[in-house]
Order: sequence, then C-alpha cells, then structure tokens
Amino acid sequence: MTLAWIPLLTLLGVLIPVPMERFGRRLCTLATATPVVIALILVLSQLPMLLSGGLPHFSLTWIPSLGLDLAFRLDGLSLLFAVLILGIGLLIILYASYYLSAEEASGRFYAYLMLFMTSMIGIVMADNLILLWIFWELTSLSSFLLIGFWSHWTDARKGARMAMTVTGAGGLALLAGLLLLGDMAGSFDMGTVLASGEAIVADDRYPIMLVLVLLGAFTKSAQFPFHFWLPHAMAAPTPVSAYLHSATMVKAGIFLMARLHPAIGDSLLWSWLVTLTGMATFLYGAWFALVKTDLKAILAFSTVSHLGLITALLGIGSPMAIVAALFHILNHAAFKGAMFMNAGIIDHETGTRELDQLGALRHAMPMTALVTMIAAAAMAGVPFLNGFLSKEMFFAETLYTPLLGGLGWLLPMLATLGGILSVAYSLRLVHAVFFKPARRQPPKTPHEPPRLMRAPAMLLVMICIAVGLFPALLATGILELASTAVLESVPELHLAIWHGVNLPLLMSLIAIIAGVATYGLHIHLKRFVRQFAPIDARLVFEGAIQTIASIAHTLTRRLDNGSLQRYMSWLLGGALLLATLGLVQLPRLDGGQATHPVDGILLLGAALMIFGAIGTVVSHRHRLISLLMLSVVGLVVSLTFARFSAPDLALTQLSVEVVTMILLMLALFFLPQKTPRESSAKRNIRDLTLAGSLGMVIASLNYAVLTRDIDSISNFFVENSVPGGGGHNVVNVILVDFRGFDTLGEITVLALAGLAIYKLLNRLRLFMPHSDGEGRVWSPDRYPMILTSVSQTLLPLALLVSAFIFLRGHNQPGGGFIAGLITAVALILIYMARGVEWTQSHLDFPYQPVAIGGVAVATLTGLGSFVFGYPFLTSAFGHFHLPWLGDFELATAMLFDLGVYLAVVGATLMILANLGKVTTPHRPRKDDSRAGTQQPQPSSKEPR
Amino acid sequence: MRPEVALPILIPLMAGATSLLFWRLRLAQRLLAVGGTGALLLTSLWLLHSVSRDGILVMQMGDWPAPFGISLVADLFGAIMVVLTGIIGFAVALYSLATIGRGHEAFGYFPLMHLLLAGVAGAFLTGDIFNLYVWFEVMLVASFALLILGSEKAQMEGAIKYVTLNLLSSVIFLSAVGLLYGMVGTLNMADIAQRLSQVEESGMIDVLAVMFMVAFGIKAAAFPLFFWLPASYHTPPVAVSALFAGLLTKVGVYALFRVFTLIFHQNPGYTHEILVWGAGLTMLSGVLGAAAQYEFRRILSFHIVSQIGYMILGLALFTPLALIGGVFYIMHHIIVKTNLFLVSGFVNRLRGSYDLKKLGGLYRTHPWLAILFLIPALSLAGMPPLSGFFAKFIVIRAGIEAEAYGVTFIALLVGLLTLYSMIKIWAEVFWKSPPEPGENEPELAPVSQREMWQLYAPIVGLALCTVFIGLNGQPIYELASASADQLLDPTRYIDAVMSDSGEVAP
Repeated sequence: MTLAWIPLLTLLGVLIPVPMERFGRRLCTLATATPVVIALILVLSQLPMLLSGGLPHFSLTWIPSLGLDLAFRLDGLSLLFAVLILGIGLLIILYASYYLSAEEASGRFYAYLMLFMTSMIGIVMADNLILLWIFWELTSLSSFLLIGFWSHWTDARKGARMAMTVTGAGGLALLAGLLLLGDMAGSFDMGTVLASGEAIVADDRYPIMLVLVLLGAFTKSAQFPFHFWLPHAMAAPTPVSAYLHSATMVKAGIFLMARLHPAIGDSLLWSWLVTLTGMATFLYGAWFALVKTDLKAILAFSTVSHLGLITALLGIGSPMAIVAALFHILNHAAFKGAMFMNAGIIDHETGTRELDQLGALRHAMPMTALVTMIAAAAMAGVPFLNGFLSKEMFFAETLYTPLLGGLGWLLPMLATLGGILSVAYSLRLVHAVFFKPARRQPPKTPHEPPRLMRAPAMLLVMICIAVGLFPALLATGILELASTAVLESVPELHLAIWHGVNLPLLMSLIAIIAGVATYGLHIHLKRFVRQFAPIDARLVFEGAIQTIASIAHTLTRRLDNGSLQRYMSWLLGGALLLATLGLVQLPRLDGGQATHPVDGILLLGAALMIFGAIGTVVSHRHRLISLLMLSVVGLVVSLTFARFSAPDLALTQLSVEVVTMILLMLALFFLPQKTPRESSAKRNIRDLTLAGSLGMVIASLNYAVLTRDIDSISNFFVENSVPGGGGHNVVNVILVDFRGFDTLGEITVLALAGLAIYKLLNRLRLFMPHSDGEGRVWSPDRYPMILTSVSQTLLPLALLVSAFIFLRGHNQPGGGFIAGLITAVALILIYMARGVEWTQSHLDFPYQPVAIGGVAVATLTGLGSFVFGYPFLTSAFGHFHLPWLGDFELATAMLFDLGVYLAVVGATLMILANLGKVTTPHRPRKDDSRAGTQQPQPSSKEPR
Repeated sequence: MRPEVALPILIPLMAGATSLLFWRLRLAQRLLAVGGTGALLLTSLWLLHSVSRDGILVMQMGDWPAPFGISLVADLFGAIMVVLTGIIGFAVALYSLATIGRGHEAFGYFPLMHLLLAGVAGAFLTGDIFNLYVWFEVMLVASFALLILGSEKAQMEGAIKYVTLNLLSSVIFLSAVGLLYGMVGTLNMADIAQRLSQVEESGMIDVLAVMFMVAFGIKAAAFPLFFWLPASYHTPPVAVSALFAGLLTKVGVYALFRVFTLIFHQNPGYTHEILVWGAGLTMLSGVLGAAAQYEFRRILSFHIVSQIGYMILGLALFTPLALIGGVFYIMHHIIVKTNLFLVSGFVNRLRGSYDLKKLGGLYRTHPWLAILFLIPALSLAGMPPLSGFFAKFIVIRAGIEAEAYGVTFIALLVGLLTLYSMIKIWAEVFWKSPPEPGENEPELAPVSQREMWQLYAPIVGLALCTVFIGLNGQPIYELASASADQLLDPTRYIDAVMSDSGEVAP
C-alpha cells in the first residue's frame, strides 16, 4: 500500500495549489511541496527492503479483462528515477515560487506541475505495460499544458502544439509496439515481459515491435530526427524547461529503453538502431548548441546532445555501458538542472536570453556566475566534477564495443568529436554571458536574485562537485541498485577519478584541449554557418501541417463540393458498385420458378408505366407535364394492385395519388412553370448511365428473387384474420392488428410531416404569379359557381362515404387510412371551391391537435392492453347487434383505426391550409396597376 | 409481460403527443421535456437492469406469436443503446431549456424532440426489419423538422441535402427489405436469420447484404456516403446538433451491427471485408475533412464521420474483442460527442460565434468551461484514462490481434490527427487572446444564473460519465463483453424471439 501512496500523494498535490493560492505564494508553495516531501520519504523508506533483495510491489485490478492492472513496483531503476523526479521537483517548486511574477496564476502552474510529476512517477513505477503507457500519455498532456502556460504568447501555443503532436505520434507508435510486445510475452505484466526476453527477440514480429517502441522512446527523448520539438518547447517558463525538458520528461524515453532492455535489448537490430541514433543525436545536438545564440536554445540543444549520449550507451548495451548510462542520467539532471535554473535567473534579472545582449555579468551576479561556471564545467566534462566521470565511461564503452567491427574506430572518434563540441559550447556560454563585454544593453539592469531562488541551483552544483570528488562513496550504491533492475549480473563498479593513463583519459584530454581551441576559432565557424539558410523547425512543422490541411482540403473539396448532385452521384455510384459486385457472384439469375403468363393487359400496363416514367424524366423541364406523367405511373401502379386482387391497396394507392397530386399542383403554382436547362450534355450522360445501370441492377435483383421459391408467412394472416383479428379484410387486420405497431409509426411520420410543413411554410411569403407558364392569365372566375355548389353538396356525401369506408374497413376494403384520405379529398375540394379564408372561418379549429390526437388515440388504445396485462396493442373484439343496422363487430382495433383516420385528416389539412396561406396579401406594384382584368385569382387562393 | 420493453418507445411518443396538445403552453412543454426524458432515462435503466438479469427480453406486439406479429426485442446491446438514448435525451432536454429560443419552442421544438427520441428508441428495440424502416422514417421526418425550425437559408440548404440523401437511403433500405421478403417470406429478423441459414445460394444473400450495407452506411455516415452530415449538422440550434450528433448516426451503426451479426454473417470474407475497407476510409476521410475546417461545429461534425469508422471497424474485424471494442466505442462516443457539441453551444452563447478565428481567451475567463471542454475533447482523441482511450485501445488491440495491420495503422494515425484537431480548437478557442471585437458585433445578453445551471448541468453530467467509464472500466467492459457475446451467438436472439410465442389474442 505504501507504494500506491507515492503517486497518490502527488496526485493529491494536484488539488492543493489552486485553493491554496489565495493564502499567498509562500503558503501555496509550502503546501504544494508537502506531499512531495512525504512521497520522497516514502520512496526512501523502501530502501532497506530493496537492499535486502526484495521487490516492493503493489497491485490492484483495474480492467483485468484487458490485462490492465493498477500495479506499481519499486525496483532500483524506479527508485533512481523516483528520487530524481521528486527531488528535482522539490527544487523546482521552490524555484518557481520566485520565478513566476506575482500576478501569474501560480496555483494553476503548480497543479499542472504536480500532474506532470504524478505521471512521471507513474511511468517509472508502473508494473504493467498499459499502465505505463497511460502515464506516458499523461506526461505529454501535462507538458502540453505547461509549455503553453503563457498561452497568450503565440510561440508558447505553437511550441506546445508541436510537442504534443510529436510526442503524441510517438505515443501512438509506442502503444502499438507495447500491444505487440504484450502479445508476444503473453501478458502486460512487467515482470512477465521482462522475463520473456528470449521468446520476444525470437518472435517474427520483433523488428516491427522494436521500431514502434523505439519510435515512442525517441520522440519523447528528442532523438534525431525527432528532436526538433524540444528547442521550441523552450517557450515554456524556465522552471518547466529545467524540470521537464532536461531532468525528467525527456528522460522518459531513456527510462523506457532501460526498463525494457532485458526484454527487447538483446539483439543486433537494437544495438544498431539505438547506438547510431544516439550518436547522431549526440553530434547533431552538440553542433547546434555551439551555433545558437539564445541561452535556452543552447541548453536545449545541449540537452538533445546529452540524451543522445545516454541513448548511445543504452544501445551499446554492455553491463558497464548501462551503468554509465544510468550514471550520466543522474549527472546530467544535476548539472543541466542547475544550468537551466541559472539561465532562468539571468533571463529574469536581465530581461533577455540573447547572448548578444548579455555579457560581463560576473560583476553584477558573482554567485550566479560561479554556480553556472561549475555546472558548465561539469557539462563539458572537466575533471573533479561528476560529468567527467560518466563521460569518461562513455568514451571507454565506445572503445570496447564490438558493434561496428572493422569500423570500430569510428565510434570513439565520433565520441571525441562530440566531446570537443561540448567543451566548446560550454565555454562559449560561460564566456559570452559572464566575461565578454555585452554588445548591447540588456533590457533590465542585472543584479543577484533572492537567495532562495539561487539555492536550488547551488544545491545541484554541490551535488555535482561532491559526486565528482567522491564517486565511489556517493554514487556506487544507487548505481548498483538501479542496474540490478536492468542487468542480470551487475559488474563490479570502480568509480574513481583516476584510473591511470589510458585511452579514455586521453580522449577526455583531447576533447578539452581541442574544445578550447574550437571556441577560439568560433568566429570562423560562425562565418561558415552563416552560409546556410537557417531552418526553423517550427516553420517546417507548421508548413507540414498546412500542407496536410490543404491536401485534406483539396481531397475533401473533390468529394464534397457542396453540390447535391455530386453527393447523389457518389451515393448511387457506391450503391451501384457494391450491388454489382454482389450480383456478379450470382451463378445464374434465373431461379427456375415458372413465370406468370403475360397477356395483353399486363403488357399495356407495363408499357404505360414505362412511358410514364420516361415521360416524367424527359419532360422534367415542363413541370406540369412532368407531374401529369408521374400520375400516369401512380395510376398504373394502383391498377396493378387491382389486377392482382389487392383492392385495398389499389384504393389506398388511388387516394394517396389524388391527394399528393393536388398538393403538388398547389406547390407548383408558386414555382416557375419551366425549369431552365441546368445540366451539361456530359452530366446528362453520367446521370443517364448511373440511373440506367441502377435500374437494371434492381430489375435483375427483382427478377432473381421473383423466380425463386418462397415460403412466406402470409398464410398465417389469411387463416388468423377472422379468428384472431376479428375481421375479414386481411389487409386491414394486418394494418391495425397484426402489424399495428408499424401503422402507429407511420401515422407518427404523417403527423410529423404535417408539423414540418407547417413550420416550413409558416413564415414563407410568396408573391403569386399572375399568369401561368404560357403567359395566360388565370381565369377571372375565382370560385366557379358550379364547383362551389357541387363541392358543397358533395361534402356531406363524401363524409358519409368515408364513415362507411371506415366502418366496413375491418371486413371489406376500406379502413381508417382510406377513409381519412377520402375526407381529406372532400375538404380539399371545399378549399378549392371556397378559398382558404372562407373555409377556415367555417372549419375553425387548429389541425395540429387533430393529427397528433390521432397518434395519441392509437397509442392509448395500445396502452389499454397493458392494463389487462397483455402486450402493447393486443386487440379485443366482440359482436354486437344493433337494430336496423344489423350485426356489428366492435374491436379495439377500430379505435386504433380511428386514430389513423384522425392523423391522416389532420396532417393533410395542416399541409393544405398552410400551402394555401403562403401567399402574401401584398402584391408587387406591377400587378396592382393591371388589376381588374389581369388580376384574377387562382381558385385556391385567398382573396386580396 | 414486460412493459419496460415497450415503454422506452411509448413514453416519448406520449410525451410528444401531450406536448403537442399543449401547443400554446410554453411552461407545460418545458416541464414535459424534462419529465418525459427523465422518465425515458429511468425506464431505460430499468430495461437494462432486467435484460442483464433475465437475458434477452421479448414483447410480441398485439400478442401475435413471432414471426407473424411485430416483436420488440431487447438484448443487451439494444438495451445499452436505449440507456444512451435516455441519457442524451435528458441532457439535451435540460440544455434546451436555456438555449432554445421562444421562436423555436412555439413551433414545436419539444414535441419534435420527443418524437425523435421515440423513433430512435424504436429503432433500437424492434426485432422486425420493416418496423425498423418505420422508425427510421419517424427519425428522418422528425430530424428534418428540427433542422428547419430556424428557417434560415443555411438551415434550409443543409436540410434539403439531409433529407434528399436520407430518403435515398430509405429507398434502398425499402427495396432491400422487399427483396429480402421475396426471398425468405418473413420480416421478423430472428426468423429471417433462421431461414437465411437454410438458403443455399449465398450469392443472393451477399447482394442483399450489400444493399443493407449501403442503406445503413448512409445513415451511419460511412465513406463515401457521409456527405449529408457535414452539410447539415452545423446549421440548426446547437441542442439539435448535439442530439443528432449523439444519436442519429449511431442508429445506422446499430443497424449495421444488428444486421451483420444476426442476419448476414455467413460470408464475412466478403461482407466484412468490404466493411473493413469502408471503416478505414471513413476514418481517414472524416479526419481529413476536419483538418481544413475552422468552424467549431463543422470540425466536430467531420469527426463524427471519422469516429464512425472505428465503430464499424469493431464490427468489420468480427472477432469477440473487436465487437466488444465496437460496442464500447459506441457507448463512449455518444456521450462524448454530444458533450462536445454542448460545449460548443456554451461557447457560442458566451461569444456569439462558432468561428475559431473570432473566438479566444476563454481559458482565462471561464477556466471551468475550459476543463469541461478538455475532458470530452481528450477523450475523443483517445487520451487515457478517459473513456475514449479504452474504446480506442480495445479496437486497436483487436486489430493487432486480427493482424489487420493496415487498418490498425490508419486507426492510430487518425487518433493522432484527432488529437491535433482537438488541440487546435483548444488553442484557438481557449488559449489564444480574443481578437478585437468588430464594429457591428451584436451585444450578447448576459447569461443569467439560472441559464448557467441549465447549461453547466448536462455538460458536467456527461463529462462525469466519460470520466466514470474511464476510471471504472471493468463493469463497462463486462457489459460490452456480454453484449458482444450475445451478438456473436445469434441463436440466443433467435431462440428468445421464436420461443416466446404469445397466445393468440382473446
């Protein structure tokens, strides 16, 4: 449980700073630091157990089915990193308290910092690959928030985005790699994975897994060529740079490589990839550190370089190399942390980080100068400081590795070259800032910072000196402990300043001497460098992003150009392609069922239908004709129903046709009578091909289905219609009983459509055209007398008919739907004959409630059966005898049918009334001037 | 009798009808909105509870035995979807109180919302292929009406595209149903599955499968059938966008899952291979479409498309783990995507714009809103430990296990681009300093305390769901796993429907 408290404490630390902020900076800092101190103590309290060979472990299941456990371990490697993270974290908290100006939101800053600390602790302590990855991503996130802390500043935002994108990409590669790794090892448990190194390396998928995992590690640890985000992350406040981008987060990749080394490190591929990448990064970073002029940029590239050094050591992979890598991690954290903090102090006190504006600061800030100089010396690898020791070990390892075979001399040579560059840039930094006179005045007059702000850096430098002087005493223990986690057998460590005169010492000496010389020639170097146009990684990155966006834009435009025709053609094309693919697979189209004999009537019907369909298309620019053609199709369809003994369907289809046609005509009234020619010939061809082929595919499918056997459920309906549904009209019983639920849905659709049209037309105000498409003015006889009187007479009759149709519906063709349509037709007639105003003044009720009332009645009927404990819509019926009228049958289905009736009538009227009301009473002046003979009203329109 | 099977459809249906009857009473409509969706949420939880306790529940409509009547079937997957409908419905109803203007309310916003929910729930619960079509129509018409409520030009344009392309889907769907009936002579999905397994000619089945794939693919906004979505989703009031974003495409996805596990699973080498391709292209085209956008809701709309790809991938890989991933993904996505739209609406309410270039500075002024954006946004991008991470994780792991490396690579890449996209929004809307206000910017009414609550409550609630799914993944995973089991073993569904033959009505 103690183990779980370590990340938990830092996590709690996330919640502390924001509420504590109001109590002042000092208290807030203290409160934030407290859990860190406790966590550090907890980590150290595990030492005895570790030393006695135990492995502190904590595990809690999270999603066991996915192999994800909340499992932590604290072996030597974790301990080393945990101490680093918590220890330097403490110093940073102290430092930041002075660094941030008074008006900055320190609470938020600390909260992000603690979130970051938690995720780092999580990475190093995770005992499960997936858990490790989760924390890995959290470091990306928290570093994103920290880099962008000064969010009003464009550089900060862009740097943050870049860091997030690059490390995010690496993170996803790592995820894939870890998934593969877990798959190979058979578990995500760290112990299991680390123990199955042989099986992993032997696996076929090893190379791809290795590349993926390394991608994750390299992006995080800013290895060449993924290093470019790190210098831009320097837009972060300096405490963040010191903490994340030198001491901890960038070491996460290194940690990962060290952690997984036992599992995946034992192969030639590993050695090659990791060593060469590391060496390349080492040199590349060192070179750019030498030529940059921004203080933090120099440190950033120097960090890149040192990370490369560590990576190269991990690649070499011999036991001593691993130890050297771990040692250098510690050393680098100490001196680079101090360097960054001092860079921040200089920036803070002078207001600039440009070398040009800095100089001769040793007078103004002697203590800072001293501390920086020592740290820089450690960085350069000057004897008696910690950096010297690990760097010498690095030199030694490059000498002894068998990696490059015949080219074995190359590695030590490159290493020495890197060493030379490090000496040169360290020297340059110190000299330019503290000794050389400044070329321009810095924005602020420099002076020493508060003592406590200096303290963290001083402490780190003291560590540098102490370790440099007494390595055996101070470093051996923790290094041995840490390397037990990576190595099976830890080599005997002899950390000492003096090993006698040997090659590594010689290399160190060469590096220092040549380094000083290089700095002497620095001016020439600068001239040389100036010949190359500088490459700003951010511009390149943003450029790449822009390119992706514009390619995406072009692609999307091509697919999605906002044209409905284009969309339709894609959709239909897609459907056509897929259906054709399927159809081709069919061995034969004909299913073998005998076909129905064709007679003259059928042929005529088919011909009419085809004629109607083609006519609709051909005449589509003359809308009225097109509509008439369409009605031919509808009519033939209803005749077809009648021919194949479905009178109910025929009746329904017919009334639907009538109502639709009338409504369409009303709508057409407002539209131009002719459509302009819009499609080019090319497009016509395309559309024709598409439509034609789709038609053929659908026809083939129909043919295929119709010529095959079918064993349908329809017999059940015929048999059960009377005994079960209480009606002889099977179609109606299906509608209101067997499949009443469908009908309920459909009348809802109808009511909804009414509502939609009501809304659509409600505020629409259109001018009426005063003449038809041919320029003929409308007939002056607004409400033809004959029509008025006939419709008046017809209305009661029609209502009677619809009542009749409704009542007999259960047993003979008819029913609520048809009855509703008939009522609607009759009312439409009234509208046409009398105009909207007259009709509405006589039929004065809102239609929405009628339509929706129908739905409600139907639903309630269905719900009624719940009361009796039956499923929804269970019907009941009985026979009654009424005098004069004869035998009657009352079924709950009838009530349901009433709902259908109401919905149909209500919805139709809603559409009709609103279509009628569309016209505005105000007409264009031109029309007014011709009023009288030329201003007749169309019959369905309201009067002026 | 188990009323909870039908109630999730009937409650919104009745709420919609009642709400319409109170056409002029604004208060009654508002109360009904919250009450009705609240009741829906509660019954849906009841349903999920019953289903996970008693197994697949069936109600035969009209007490007609299957396959003759219409069966309502609630298996775990369906029940989960209904619960999500309830959650989203309730959240959006609350949010609507503060964001839907009087003008919209007067034209029946709330009744339409209820009826839309009824359609969605109907689609999730029906066990009948034609009935599914009916509920699709209810959804389509209700959503069309909601789209045009504002009568603005952009809304009309979007709505016309929306309705045309969706009607096309309906036509294909209906033709496919007709052909299917012509082949097997039944409409009950369980019965269809049973009879299809006896059909010898697999070619015909494949053709039909593909037709259904196209019809539902349009609904689900899969490549290359997604155009209607980005053309219309950014136009209506944001509550409507949120409702659509959460639920509508997911009905298409649901239908794909249902049909391609229950009915068309005989030849996965053909059908599911097409789905794999479709999934990959959907992911890519969606995320690339988003890359070029600078309008808050349009970015989010394109991301719906890309996320649909992940869900379809879960189905397409057709392994137990992949299906679990698919179901998990749907659960996560509905909540997160709705929430992102709600946040975009909040931003619009505060700043009067959806244009990223005109926004900025909210990180300083509204830090809580910033965090509430970050939670669903990072979840969408798959950041741990939020719900999206687990969803993506399962799908990707399934991809690796199935050795579908190409499409897995696409899935990872799209995850990265999604992350970039979310960061873009974050940097532009929250981090960046706001641009100087223009000359004739309309003065925005200050947000009242009460509105603040109505806006924050659903956002916070959904964000908590996201975090809860992340931190408490095991039960959710088990739920997804159990429903994937049911999906992979159609006999359980078939047995439940066909054995539960109600008696013939009295």
